[in-house]
Amino acid sequence: MTPRIRALALGCILPAILLILWESQARRGGAHAYAFAPLGVIARSFAAMLGDGSLLRQAGASLQRALSALLIGGGTGIFVGTALGIWRPFERAATPLINTLRQVPILGWLPLIALWFGNGDGAKLLLVSLAALYPTVLNTQKGLSGADRNLLEVGALYGFSRWQALRRIAWPNALPLLFTGISQALAFAWIATIGVELLFSASAGLGTEMMAAQVAARTDILIICIACVGAMGFAMNQGFAVLRRRALRWQPARPQ
Amino acid sequence: MSSILPSGRGTPSGARDVATGGVRIERLSKQYRLNDTPFTVLDDIDLSIRPGEFVSIVGPSGCGKSTLLRLIVGLDTDYDGEIRLDGVRVAGTGLERGLVFQDHRLFPWMTVARNIEVALLTQKLPRARRERLIASHLELVGLTGFENAYPHQLSGGMAQRAAIARALVNAPKVLALDEPLGALDALTRVKVQAELQRIWMEAGTTMIMVTHDVDEALFLGDRVVVMSARPGRIARIVDVDLPHPRDRASPVLHRLKDEILAELTTEPAGDTLVPFPAKPRAPR
Repeated sequence: MTPRIRALALGCILPAILLILWESQARRGGAHAYAFAPLGVIARSFAAMLGDGSLLRQAGASLQRALSALLIGGGTGIFVGTALGIWRPFERAATPLINTLRQVPILGWLPLIALWFGNGDGAKLLLVSLAALYPTVLNTQKGLSGADRNLLEVGALYGFSRWQALRRIAWPNALPLLFTGISQALAFAWIATIGVELLFSASAGLGTEMMAAQVAARTDILIICIACVGAMGFAMNQGFAVLRRRALRWQPARPQ
Repeated sequence: MSSILPSGRGTPSGARDVATGGVRIERLSKQYRLNDTPFTVLDDIDLSIRPGEFVSIVGPSGCGKSTLLRLIVGLDTDYDGEIRLDGVRVAGTGLERGLVFQDHRLFPWMTVARNIEVALLTQKLPRARRERLIASHLELVGLTGFENAYPHQLSGGMAQRAAIARALVNAPKVLALDEPLGALDALTRVKVQAELQRIWMEAGTTMIMVTHDVDEALFLGDRVVVMSARPGRIARIVDVDLPHPRDRASPVLHRLKDEILAELTTEPAGDTLVPFPAKPRAPR
């Protein structure tokens, strides 16, 4: 058994136990069957939702929302973080404000944004982008202001301009932290996406589907959506880790 | 490590005029301020280095030998006195003056070839010419075949040779080396010293090397500058009148080593000596 398969098998033990417990609860009948939809029912609903394309549609809508917000919020975050990291006066002027604003949880902005923009797609995108913003700002700034002085000296030795020093030394030097920021932003954006969909139950999305399932008392659909959210988050995380490893292949291998 | 000398090395300036690369340091002094008290690092340094010469500098810690190199390459411009290269006063950093640090300082995110290219980025050279220069310098330091390796994949000696290639690729007139082999193990060190001698003989660049190792200073240097500390002054300049390449077993080198070590160890320490125990024990 290769270590890879061994790890996979080990990772399956707990989910299997959970499933068995779930099914045994479902088979106790009565209220239990209502609270814990039997696995067979869940499987049939899953097949139906896949068949009519509704699951793909809802998951696709959530995914699109999270990724667009990552692009908008993350892009802005990298830009602001770069300005903070290389421009001291701006850093001094903006840090108190940023540190105060980031204490407000994303859901804390929700009433105000709902009042201003309603509960449409624009408002959702704004909230999720905000979730992606902070981790990228902070990590980009940290990466740039922590640029290795010794390496900057090499740039000075070879007559680098400020722009060359930023592009050729400070930026690549900040790349590991930048990736950390983006991977945090990805996780936050995914959580925020489901959150705003639950609260602003309009238009497509897994969160919206879950609210509808709750109203209709469909435990099976709820479970399918929850599993979907978890699996998609996990897959995005893994995919990003592969991307990160490729982009940072110049780093010495660290013990896992 | 190949001992066959690569030929046909191209440099941006082509065949160098043998008369360039002379460094003249006159009445050079450097002070730091430590908690508002001035602290003299270098005091009245006068040194004239001939074009193409190899000068080694040895001295105790704190004698300002590394600071002297930083002043020559222009990473530090706050000093009194003058540093002239071929008669022209140096101001700031410039491609005609290179520096090899004790740590290789290669960019970890670039391959060896791209790291060497870093030194050429501020010159407008056609790509093909840049690649030729990189290839010929990789050959010069014996790293052909490692152009696509990342720094963490190299041994300490290889990384330092890559750093030397980076420093030489834009054909500086003067190359300062700040304990370039200090981080290497003894065996690698001896090998890279021989490499450095070969590179110097081929490149014809004026080299000024700071080291802690008297053997190394004598093996490579045409002259060895012995410095004393607090404040940093030139205590003595030793001529090593032996042709290159040199034989480590030469009795001349051994005799000079004994002289220099005597100079370094009998230096009056005076107030820098801390009596031990530092304080007499208080009576009970």
